[in-house]
Amino acid sequence: MVSAAAPPQPPATATDAPLPRRGIERLDLMLLCAEALDLNGAEATLILSEQLGFQELIPNRVELWKRRCHNPLRRQVRRGILATADSDALIRILCTQCERLYPLLRALLSAAEPEPIARQRWELFEERLAGLVRERMNPRRGGVQRLLDGAEGAQQRRQLILAMALAAGNGGFARLKASLMDAGA
Amino acid sequence: MKQTLRFDQISCRLQVEGLPDVSTGQSGDVLGIITGWSLQWAGRPELEGRKEHLLALMQAVLPYARLLVSGAGRPLTSPGQEVDIAPAAGGGHQLLLRSSQPGTEPLTVVLDDAELSDLVRVLDQLRLDSRLLLTLDIPDDRPLRGREVSHRIPRRQRLAAPAAAVLALAVTTAASLFWPTPKPPAPAGQGLTQTDKLNAPR
Repeated sequence: MVSAAAPPQPPATATDAPLPRRGIERLDLMLLCAEALDLNGAEATLILSEQLGFQELIPNRVELWKRRCHNPLRRQVRRGILATADSDALIRILCTQCERLYPLLRALLSAAEPEPIARQRWELFEERLAGLVRERMNPRRGGVQRLLDGAEGAQQRRQLILAMALAAGNGGFARLKASLMDAGA
Repeated sequence: MKQTLRFDQISCRLQVEGLPDVSTGQSGDVLGIITGWSLQWAGRPELEGRKEHLLALMQAVLPYARLLVSGAGRPLTSPGQEVDIAPAAGGGHQLLLRSSQPGTEPLTVVLDDAELSDLVRVLDQLRLDSRLLLTLDIPDDRPLRGREVSHRIPRRQRLAAPAAAVLALAVTTAASLFWPTPKPPAPAGQGLTQTDKLNAPR
């Protein structure tokens, strides 16, 4: 028996396609970096969500956590696809977080800072990030082990901070979204 | 009627001067024609130029920033070759600016990550400013293809699939060489006499 063929769907474009798993992984890690930079980062994320008009999508901490659990590196992973509206909301929130945290991001990236002060800043950030990663991520995953690794992880952590600095503000949204949509990202 | 837009960051200040394009009905504090711009950097020479030079700077720096977000920074040149930007050998980013005036040597500026992000922010602020009523020909941000981000995947993981394919091909080829082939059928007439083949005359 042959069923009626479904009408052809238009191909998904870069703007309406869902984020690949690696893109969600990077997005969640950047949100985690924002929390490591700001002790009230989780609260700030919720407040920003409300300010940006995403209260219906992300009304509370549990809904935020459920969306972030699409990250395959998490201890509790949700299967399925993260809806484009949800991922766009998280990217907007992250870009606004980056704008707010830009002075801290800039201080971490600046080569003009005295070496001991720069090192102290990085140590403080890395210590907080490692604590959050151990608390929320699955330590058996290679990606988590690489992130916590001394040399290899340092490069990855700097790359995350640079990406956040370049994604700060309204101008950063399209840049960051395109990056999270990279093939094999 | 002359309007000035100014965008400040910690290490740089971009100032754009222009006029509203009255031929298209613009008025007030908008800017439809850019007459000049200047970029002041802390501790570096000030840059000045026309609209084309500003556009060239944006056409090189913004796509480069897009690549850096993906961790795939590589040398880029503006379409008119006025501006080059590339990762610097000792870290940071090297910006090469070629003057349109004859006899002027190109200017090389090395920026650290923080200075580059400041520059990207002032350029973003300019292109997204609601007072700038001018279409700027800047390429859209697009996702990178697989080979452009292949360096992100560890080499062992990247080579695993091709190596397995080569191994499978080698095993299949070797097995097919050792497989016993059926004996070829004897050619006609060999081993049989004419008498065997034909019925004996009665």
